[in-house]
Amino acid sequence: MIKVKKSEFNKFIENLQENYSVFAPVTDGKATAFKKIKSADDINNKVLNTKRSPKEIFFPQSEVLFQYTKEGMEVPKRDEKPFAIWGMRNCDTKSLLMLDKVFGEAHQMPKKDMYKDPYWKEKYDNCLVFNLACNEPLSTCFCNWFDGGPFDKTGSDIFVVETDENYIFEAVSDKGKKFLSDFKTAENASDKEIKKIEKLKETAESYLAEKEDISSLFFKTKEIWDEPIWDEIAAKCVNCGACAFVCPTCHCFDVSDEGKGNKGKRIRLWDSCMFAIFTKEASGHNPRSQSTQRVRQRVMHKYNYFMDNYDEHLCTGCGRCVVVCPVNLDIREVIKKIINY
Amino acid sequence: MIQNLRTEVKKLLKDKKVDIIIGWEKGSLPLSSTPAFIQKEEDVDRLIFDETCRNNLTTYLTKDKRKLGKTYDKIGIVVKGCDARSIVLYSIEQQIKRENIVIIGVPCNGILEKKKILQKTENKEILESKIDGKNVHLKGRDFDLTIPLKDVLCDSCLTCKYPDAPVHDIFIGKPRKEVDIKDEFKNVIDFEKKSSEERWEYIKEEYSKCIRCYACRNVCPACYCNECFVDQNDPQWIGKTPEVTDSIIFHLIRNLHVAGRCVDCGACVSACPVDLDLRIMNKKVEKEIKERFDYTAGLDINEKPAMASYCENEKQDFIMG
Repeated sequence: MIKVKKSEFNKFIENLQENYSVFAPVTDGKATAFKKIKSADDINNKVLNTKRSPKEIFFPQSEVLFQYTKEGMEVPKRDEKPFAIWGMRNCDTKSLLMLDKVFGEAHQMPKKDMYKDPYWKEKYDNCLVFNLACNEPLSTCFCNWFDGGPFDKTGSDIFVVETDENYIFEAVSDKGKKFLSDFKTAENASDKEIKKIEKLKETAESYLAEKEDISSLFFKTKEIWDEPIWDEIAAKCVNCGACAFVCPTCHCFDVSDEGKGNKGKRIRLWDSCMFAIFTKEASGHNPRSQSTQRVRQRVMHKYNYFMDNYDEHLCTGCGRCVVVCPVNLDIREVIKKIINY
Repeated sequence: MIQNLRTEVKKLLKDKKVDIIIGWEKGSLPLSSTPAFIQKEEDVDRLIFDETCRNNLTTYLTKDKRKLGKTYDKIGIVVKGCDARSIVLYSIEQQIKRENIVIIGVPCNGILEKKKILQKTENKEILESKIDGKNVHLKGRDFDLTIPLKDVLCDSCLTCKYPDAPVHDIFIGKPRKEVDIKDEFKNVIDFEKKSSEERWEYIKEEYSKCIRCYACRNVCPACYCNECFVDQNDPQWIGKTPEVTDSIIFHLIRNLHVAGRCVDCGACVSACPVDLDLRIMNKKVEKEIKERFDYTAGLDINEKPAMASYCENEKQDFIMG
C-alpha cells in the first residue's frame, strides 16, 4: 500500500490528468455529480453519495449514436484519453460491474446474450476506477444488505482510504497494480497507518443500520407477483422518474431520431419504467397502463428478473432513491414488506 | 389538534361517510412525512399533521392519478390551505364531484423546506430532529443545531395568504384567518428589475439542471392530463434530451398550462431532485394573471377561471401593444 499526502493531492490529480480524462465528484450548482474536472480544486471529496450517479460517465442521459446526412453517416468522435474516475463509492463501483453485464464483456451467460455495446465498452474498458472508502456512511445507505460495505473493494481498480493526513492506495485489479507500480514518487504506507484503516472500517460499519436478510427476496417477489400487496406498495407512487434517473443501476433507454432538413441524429436516452409511455405500443395499447404494474416492474427488475439473468440483485443499496423520492416511497420498506408478506 | 383530527376521521370511517382517507403519516427519514391511505379505524392513529407534511395530497384525487387499487365513491382528504385550493380547481374543472369529497382542513403554519435546512447544516446529514413551537432542533454526527422555523419554511409558505382551507367540510383546530403578507410577489419583482440578459442567464442556468424525471409534473395537482404533451410521440412535440433547449420548452409550456391554475403549493419545488428554481416562472405568471384579470386561483368554487372567461374591461395591452 502506498500513500499520498493530502497536501500533495492536487499534484497527484494533475499528474493523473496527463494521461487520463479525470472525472470526480463536483458540486455543480446545487446538485453534486461526477463531472470531468478542469483542476483538482473542482473536486469535492466530502460528498458521500453524489446526487446524480456516476453511471452517466459511461452511459450518459443522452448520447448521440450517429449523425446522418443524405451522403452517409458518422459516429461522433470520443475523448481520446482513457477515463479515470476519482472518488467513486463501493455502491457505484459495484453498479458498473452490473451494467457491464448488460452492455459489456462481463456476461455470465454468454450464450444467452452476446450483445456488446461499443459505446459503453469504449469508455468502460479503458477506465481506471478509484474507489474511495466511506468513512461516514449515511443513514440511507444499505449497501450491507447486498453484501457491499463502506470498505468493500468490489468493482474498483484502486481502493483508497482517506486518513487524517493521507490517502492510502491499494491496488485491487491488474490495471490498478500496473498503475501503482508505475507511480514512482509515492511513499509506502506505514504499518501504523494500515492499522488505522482497520479502525476506520470498524467505525464506518458501525454507522450502518442493521443488515436485513434478503435471501428470500428473489423467491418472494415471484411468489407474490399477482397478489394485491402491489396496490398497497404502489399507492403513493406518482410515477415520476426521479428514482430511476438517480439510480446507479437502472439502465433502460429509449432511442429517438431527431432530423431536420437533410440531416439528423440518432440519440440514446435514459428512460424509466415508471413512465406510462415506456411500454405504450404503436396500436395505442399499453400493457402497463396502471401505476401498480409499473411499480411492480421496477421492483421485479431489480430483485427478480436481473437475478434470473445475471445472478445478482440490480441494486447496490446506495440509497439515492430513498433520498429523492418526492413521496418518501422508501425502497427499504418495500423490500421488508415483500419479505414479510 | 392531532387527537381531534383522528377522532373526526374515525367518526367518518365508522359512519361510512367516506371509503378512504388520504392524509399524512410519519415518513422514514428525519423531517419527512409520507402519504397515508387509510380505510380501517384501527389505522387512523397513524395520521399526523405537522410542519413536515409537504405533499399536496389532492394530486391523488384526479382520475389518472387515482391508483389506490380501485375507484372510491367517497374520499376524505386532509388539506392545508393550498391543497384545498387545488380541490376548488378540480371542482371548477369538473375533475371531481365536490359532494364526493369530504375536505378536512387543518391549521397550517407553514411547511419545512428540507433543502433550506440542508443549507443550514452545510449538507451534513440530519439523524434526529424535533419540532417545537417556533424552532426545529437538528442533530447530526457532529452538530447540534436549533433553527427558527421561519428561516427554513418553504418560500411558498412565507408568502402564503391563504393558510386555511377556503372550502372545507370539517376544520380541525383554529383557523389562522388573516395573514399579513405584503410582498407576495417579491421574488418576481426583484427578478423583473434585472436586465433581460441576466434573466435569460438565470433561467437558462436553472433549467439546464433538469434531468427530465417529471417529478414536478407528477406531483402537481394542476397537471392531470391523461397524456402530457411531452409523452406524445406521434407527433413528438419536443426533444427528449436533458439539454436546456429541450427541457426549457417542457417547463415553459407547463408554466402556461398551469397559468391561472397554479395555487403555489410548492409541491414541484419540494419534489425536484436537483433543486431547480421552479417557482420563479410560476409566480411570474401568477402575478400577470392577478394584475390583468384580478384573479387568484382556487379561492371561489363558483368563479370562472381567468383563462376560461372573458370580460370587456380587461387590460388588453398585450394584444394592442
